[in-house]
Amino acid sequence: MSADLDAATNSLADPRTARSGNRQKRRGRDYGLVLLAAPAVILLVVFAYGPMAGLIVAFQDFNVADGVFGSPWAGFENFEFFFTSGGAGRILWNTLFLNILFLAATLGSGVLLAIMLNEIRGRVTKRFFQSVIFVPYFVSPIVVSIFLQAFLAGPSGRGGLVNDLTDVFGLPSISWYTEPGPWPWILTVVKVWQMGGYMSVIFLAAITAIPEEVYEAGVIDGASRAQMALRITVPLLKPTAAILLVLGVGRIFYGDFGTIYAIVGDNGTLFSTTDVIDTYVFRALRTIGDFGTTAAIGLFQSVIGFVLVVAATLVQRRYAKETSLL
Amino acid sequence: MAQLIDAAGLSLPVSRRGFLAGTGGLLAAATLAACAPSGGGEAATSTFGHLLPGDVPAQWDRIRAAVNTKLKADLGFEFKPEFINWTNYASQSLLKFTSGEDFQTALSARWLNIAQLIESKALEPLDEALASGKYPNLMAAVDQSAFDANRWPDGSVYGVPAVNSAARIHHVVARGDLVDKYAGGSIETFDQLEKFWYDVQQKEGIPGYINRNSPFDVLGAPTGVLYAQGWETPDFLPLYFSSDSLMFVPSRDAATTGSTDAVPFWEYEPYLESLHRVRKYYEDGIINGDRLNADPATLKSQFDGGGAATCWGITDGADTSGHLDLLEQAVKGASLVTLLPFSEGLSAKPNQTFQADNLVVVNAAAADAEKALQLLDWVSIQENHDLLQYGEEGTDWKAVGDDAYEQVGDYANFPGFAMSWRVPLERKYSRMSESETTWFDWSKEYDNFTLDPFATFIPDLAEVEKEHAQITAAIAEFANPLFAGAVDVTEGLDKLKSALDTAGLPKVQEELNKQADAYLAAQK
Repeated sequence: MSADLDAATNSLADPRTARSGNRQKRRGRDYGLVLLAAPAVILLVVFAYGPMAGLIVAFQDFNVADGVFGSPWAGFENFEFFFTSGGAGRILWNTLFLNILFLAATLGSGVLLAIMLNEIRGRVTKRFFQSVIFVPYFVSPIVVSIFLQAFLAGPSGRGGLVNDLTDVFGLPSISWYTEPGPWPWILTVVKVWQMGGYMSVIFLAAITAIPEEVYEAGVIDGASRAQMALRITVPLLKPTAAILLVLGVGRIFYGDFGTIYAIVGDNGTLFSTTDVIDTYVFRALRTIGDFGTTAAIGLFQSVIGFVLVVAATLVQRRYAKETSLL
Repeated sequence: MAQLIDAAGLSLPVSRRGFLAGTGGLLAAATLAACAPSGGGEAATSTFGHLLPGDVPAQWDRIRAAVNTKLKADLGFEFKPEFINWTNYASQSLLKFTSGEDFQTALSARWLNIAQLIESKALEPLDEALASGKYPNLMAAVDQSAFDANRWPDGSVYGVPAVNSAARIHHVVARGDLVDKYAGGSIETFDQLEKFWYDVQQKEGIPGYINRNSPFDVLGAPTGVLYAQGWETPDFLPLYFSSDSLMFVPSRDAATTGSTDAVPFWEYEPYLESLHRVRKYYEDGIINGDRLNADPATLKSQFDGGGAATCWGITDGADTSGHLDLLEQAVKGASLVTLLPFSEGLSAKPNQTFQADNLVVVNAAAADAEKALQLLDWVSIQENHDLLQYGEEGTDWKAVGDDAYEQVGDYANFPGFAMSWRVPLERKYSRMSESETTWFDWSKEYDNFTLDPFATFIPDLAEVEKEHAQITAAIAEFANPLFAGAVDVTEGLDKLKSALDTAGLPKVQEELNKQADAYLAAQK
């Protein structure tokens, strides 16, 4: 009895034994959490990290018959394709410019719409408008391109609703599909139409998290609704906007292929302002089916995206620590 | 301690750890199950995949079921073609091949992507199988000379020709009722055709001619609807590495001198004149202004609905069958005529390569060439050919005489050019217009054409692959707007030339001439 008691006392007294026991308990407790996370981890490994092995193709003269292991090495030759094309500078600029426009316009419109929705008092009216502005998010880019053709071109490519409207005011008709100048702005309008509602929902969720007391303090101080929106709501949305901005910056070297290709297609007259890395690569490579070059461009976009995300996060940490992710 | 509520409303005590472990285990199992290969391996291997362009024909499910019942009984597998939109077919089928997707056959040709497919080793060479004697129906229905005309420079045959005439000539399908009204019932020259377009545009308010953008409309090969010179002297064909890339014009005496001396298309005066003509048509509203964006199905609907005076056609016997029924529904009293305004009429002898416009190729990754050839042999039997091509006899069609058919159902004909066209097995549409009958019969005679000096010349891309890809991108950007008439010719050509020089035009031109000269030397 006394020996048992001594052993138990020693055991309790020995810190190593206590730590080991805690670890075992923690392991037992974490087991369930690990298992719960397993599907997401498996999916991430299989679909995000596993395919990275395919990047090897970027350095090969790949062909299907020889496969990944049999295709000859090509060094950096696949990267040369894009950078010696003569249009690389313009395409990189278009990619950056359009994405900056899209990012700024969708974030701006999202904040604006969220504030406007937040000001609607009637619950049913608010829900109705929220649904209406969210619907375009689900419309396929192909359908958007048909809408645009009806608006800007009409049957046989001559006319369209916009030109009919300009005719009413005696203004000259514009052949929209052969004028590259307005297209960055047309695409931005399309993007805002598609994404504005989606973004507004994210910001609206952030607005509902703002404590009511802050607004009450504003009322006591005599602030108008507009002043409260500008001085209280907008500053408190900065953390949400910052996260969306960093995520957007990470994809700034990816053109919005789905939307741009569905709308512009192979219309060369518009390429000078709409051709982005993805559309150029698709157009050039669909004729030769060269996976090596496609992989090389994809790798280039990913590396630049990674660098930009890191840079944006560090800049944010340096100059806006209160909204920083790190 | 967490509690779960069972269906009867009783609470079941479940520990938090147990709940997490159970949920996690189930999700993990579901994830792994989703990643596992699907079952039904037997079904997967017994289905025959085939890629082809166009829309799914009306009543296709019923016809496919009938075809598959017979096919399964005869050969033990089923046929499941995948229809891909015309606009995307070349690129999508190329990607499906080069990404190793599992299907057996597809439509390909030089105007699509066969050069790239062979270059990337995606196609199965067929010589050995064709010579095996195991496919007697196929070999009886397709003449050996048709295989030889489509032999690749490496000596192999990579596709089974699916054609129903000796040569396919691009031409105009016109509204016969409008020809009667504005052209006195007949159009025999290009000048008359042009006047007809302007009259219709001005008086009916519809475009004279609609088509999607195509270099062959403007730079004839040897004819093109908008290429006036081609109807006068259809005596040469342009050379190219691929049809969506840069066209070169060989010296007219290349065959006698042995020097190809090919130059880019803009250095050939009639082609330059054609670019200016198309620009004028665009500005005058004679052609559709959305050639760069228009979808082929939309354009067909426009013509079939009476929204244009003429559209594009090719001598494959499908002008009338492809449009007449719908056109009659939309425009009372409408009719169709086939127009080939050669200055020499039926005596014209256009240059031809006799290479097939349509080849059924076998996917090397599918590794089942035998099954592919079994199917191609099976559709070379008249009964099977008719079932796939025209539908069920009595329900979809009735025989008219020995070689014609009358459509009685909704089945709108399988696109036989992608699988089943065989010259000796084809039936003629019973309502085919008189003019189409004349020109279709004319196109079946090899003697009505002149063999081009570069007939079997197919340049090899290997030495200029990168430059060719960049030139193709430049063509899409700067030449296609020229072919659509959408930009000023001088300004557009300046931009094109500059882009092509950067892309490596001199190297590509030199390589083409080197290979063409070697080809001419080998012909002597």
